[in-house]
Amino acid sequence: MIDPFAETDSDFLGSTLAALSTVAPEEALNSLGWSDLLPHLDDADARQALFGLFRAQGRLLVNSSALATLMAHPYLANGWGSTSHVATIQRESPRHGSRTVIMSTPPIGNLLIDRPGEGVRIVASSEVAIRPIDLPGHVNLQEVEVDLVGVPIAIPEEEAAILRAQSQYLGRTALAFDMLGASESALKLAVDHARDREQFGQPIGSFQAVRHLLAWARVDCAALSAVAEQVIDSEEQFLPGYDAIVKALAGRNGQRVCQRTLQVLGAIGFTTEHQHHHFYSRILCMDSLLGSSAALSYELASKYRTSMGAFPDVTLHAAVQAN
Amino acid sequence: MSSTLQGPVDAYADVSAFYDDFERWLAAGPPELVNAVAPETSTSGQMAGMRDLMKALYSEGWSRYGWPVEMGGLGGTIYHRAAMWEALARSGVSKMGAFEHLEVLGPTLLSLGPAEFVSAVFPRFLDGTESWAQGFSEPDAGSDLASIRTRATAMDGGYVVTGRKIWTSWAHYATWCLLLVRTGTAESRHRGVTAMAVNLKSPGVEVRPIAQADGNDELAEVTFDDVFVPADRVIGAVDGGWAVAMDILSHERGTFPWFRHCFLTSQLQEEIEFAAPHADALLADAILDLASSGAASAAGLQSHNEDSPLGPRAAFTKLLLCSAEQSLYDWTIATDGDIAADPADSSAMETRQRYMFSRIVTIYGGSQQMQLDTIAKRILRLP
Ligand SMILES: Cc1cc2nc3c(=O)[nH]c(=O)nc-3n(C[C@H](O)[C@H](O)[C@H](O)COP(=O)(O)OP(=O)(O)OC[C@H]3O[C@@H](n4cnc5c(N)ncnc54)[C@H](O)[C@@H]3O)c2cc1C
Repeated sequence: MIDPFAETDSDFLGSTLAALSTVAPEEALNSLGWSDLLPHLDDADARQALFGLFRAQGRLLVNSSALATLMAHPYLANGWGSTSHVATIQRESPRHGSRTVIMSTPPIGNLLIDRPGEGVRIVASSEVAIRPIDLPGHVNLQEVEVDLVGVPIAIPEEEAAILRAQSQYLGRTALAFDMLGASESALKLAVDHARDREQFGQPIGSFQAVRHLLAWARVDCAALSAVAEQVIDSEEQFLPGYDAIVKALAGRNGQRVCQRTLQVLGAIGFTTEHQHHHFYSRILCMDSLLGSSAALSYELASKYRTSMGAFPDVTLHAAVQAN
Repeated sequence: MSSTLQGPVDAYADVSAFYDDFERWLAAGPPELVNAVAPETSTSGQMAGMRDLMKALYSEGWSRYGWPVEMGGLGGTIYHRAAMWEALARSGVSKMGAFEHLEVLGPTLLSLGPAEFVSAVFPRFLDGTESWAQGFSEPDAGSDLASIRTRATAMDGGYVVTGRKIWTSWAHYATWCLLLVRTGTAESRHRGVTAMAVNLKSPGVEVRPIAQADGNDELAEVTFDDVFVPADRVIGAVDGGWAVAMDILSHERGTFPWFRHCFLTSQLQEEIEFAAPHADALLADAILDLASSGAASAAGLQSHNEDSPLGPRAAFTKLLLCSAEQSLYDWTIATDGDIAADPADSSAMETRQRYMFSRIVTIYGGSQQMQLDTIAKRILRLP
């Protein structure tokens, strides 16, 4: 089998993939020393390892406590709570109103519940009902059912707002890397299929229409990878407004990759027996969290149109920066 | 061209100091810049503006950074050149014009051309007195470049060239043309091709401009009728022209897309005052596609600087830049109907011209389909 990403994968990604494919996710996190890197988010090498984990998780359809831990970090780094805290995610459901979810292996310790306009509450996981949501894609999404009446605000809104933005920045970037990994694996499935599956007496991968579908999917992966890697390579720990771009692009390109690869797989790709639907569902689910591609695109455009000029162009002066 | 270029870069070893000082120089509004960015839709006017600007950049020294001293430069790296082009793009310079070949053909001329000839002609390119064109395509050889038929026959002291090239950008302004000719048998495909520098003022050369759908006429048809080319004008090896062409294509994915990306970003900033809410979906796509082309082009610059060519991955840069350019102008025309219905004022007219040009970017420099073929074959390794 030929790996369409062999040329561009770093050694680091290789070892993360190896760790995640041999032992349980939490064990892999420990052996990689992943959480020890959290205090070094200001360092590009540490970011490479921290976010690289998510790309590997997406490739392998694996989940761990990493997202919830990463998103808790800004609160903890500012003195709120201890390492046993994990972050939840708020999502607005048009059918059911406001929901609190967590993407993690079953959480232990304390949950940070940050509601915009209210502030952060801290609740012990033993005091809440956690309902696993049944979804393909091994995303480990769980709904947190909690009655917040009477639960005091631990971090007032004023301080929470800044930390929320940082947490969201990290969460969006991590999800984008996971979606990138999932897109890459979906593409690999389709490339392998195009090489093996024969019709009209030849591999379907010899037909230009099929080749171009796959090539576009590879371009979409390359674009997302280049854009997401700016978060790692930048001298800044947070690039203002850039998380929206990375996450919007991940949703748009990730879905395009899934559509094009499904077309190449044909009917077999539409079965539960085939892996493709796991990658597709994972991407759809992750797209819906922390701002979907549709919502962020709408926000990016209208914000830029009305503010006239605050375009988050992170490659500005690339030649100067690289030097 | 790598970062190892040596020279008296002195104060400007630091590219950011170079960028800042250059930006300051531009901000003062030198007449050559003002002229070059003034609304102008004719090719001759655009070309004249660019030529004067290049002359000023040379005499002030700015354009000499990033080129070796023996070639009229002042030393430095590709980043000096990228920084200069970025600052120009952000000051409203929309096209490098004929001088894009400084960046596209220049590095190949320097690395593969005969030293004596190149050191005689390159400084005159850099200082704006002469320019170059690239003669690859022929009426019957477009995407299938290996089928070119323009023939060079060896004779005493050189070659005699006969044939026809087409779509040769800026040929009617150029002194020199880097020509791809057939030296092998008709069936030799890419093995029997040679690259040579031909003086377009030589007897037997005829250049006819082609009127384009965007109102420009930078493209031209060039015929060669028994044109004598001295032997010391061969670039690379005889019958080794394919490698020269591939080297040139790789440089077309260096500072050129970086400059284009920077210009497109500043175009977005300029047009945003005409943004209408109904076109927001297209605006969002333009923003995402520009982020993609920026990140890919920056990575391309880095690989050129490190002398580790992108190889087939250069197709990503090319495709992403084309998508960004088309998305941007899809939005522009959707948000401002004047571009389609009433381009009377000069700024709408210019935007219309750029819109029209953006439709054809998926053709030149290897069409979109050729880029996708490259990815399918060399990256995905499909059968
Ligand atoms: C603005 C502009 C500037 C240019 N400047 C120069 C220049 O300076 N010097 C120079 O030498 N040339 C130049 N060119 C020419 C350019 O390189 C050619 O136009 C290009 O190589 C395509 O050739 P063609 O136009 O003959 O199209 P064709 O090769 O005939 O292609 C027509 C269509 O068919 C598709 N097609 C062709 N073959 C295949 C295939 N095997 N599989 C799938 N699809 C295929 C193409 O993708 C395209 O969509 C320029 C062109 C333009 C538009």
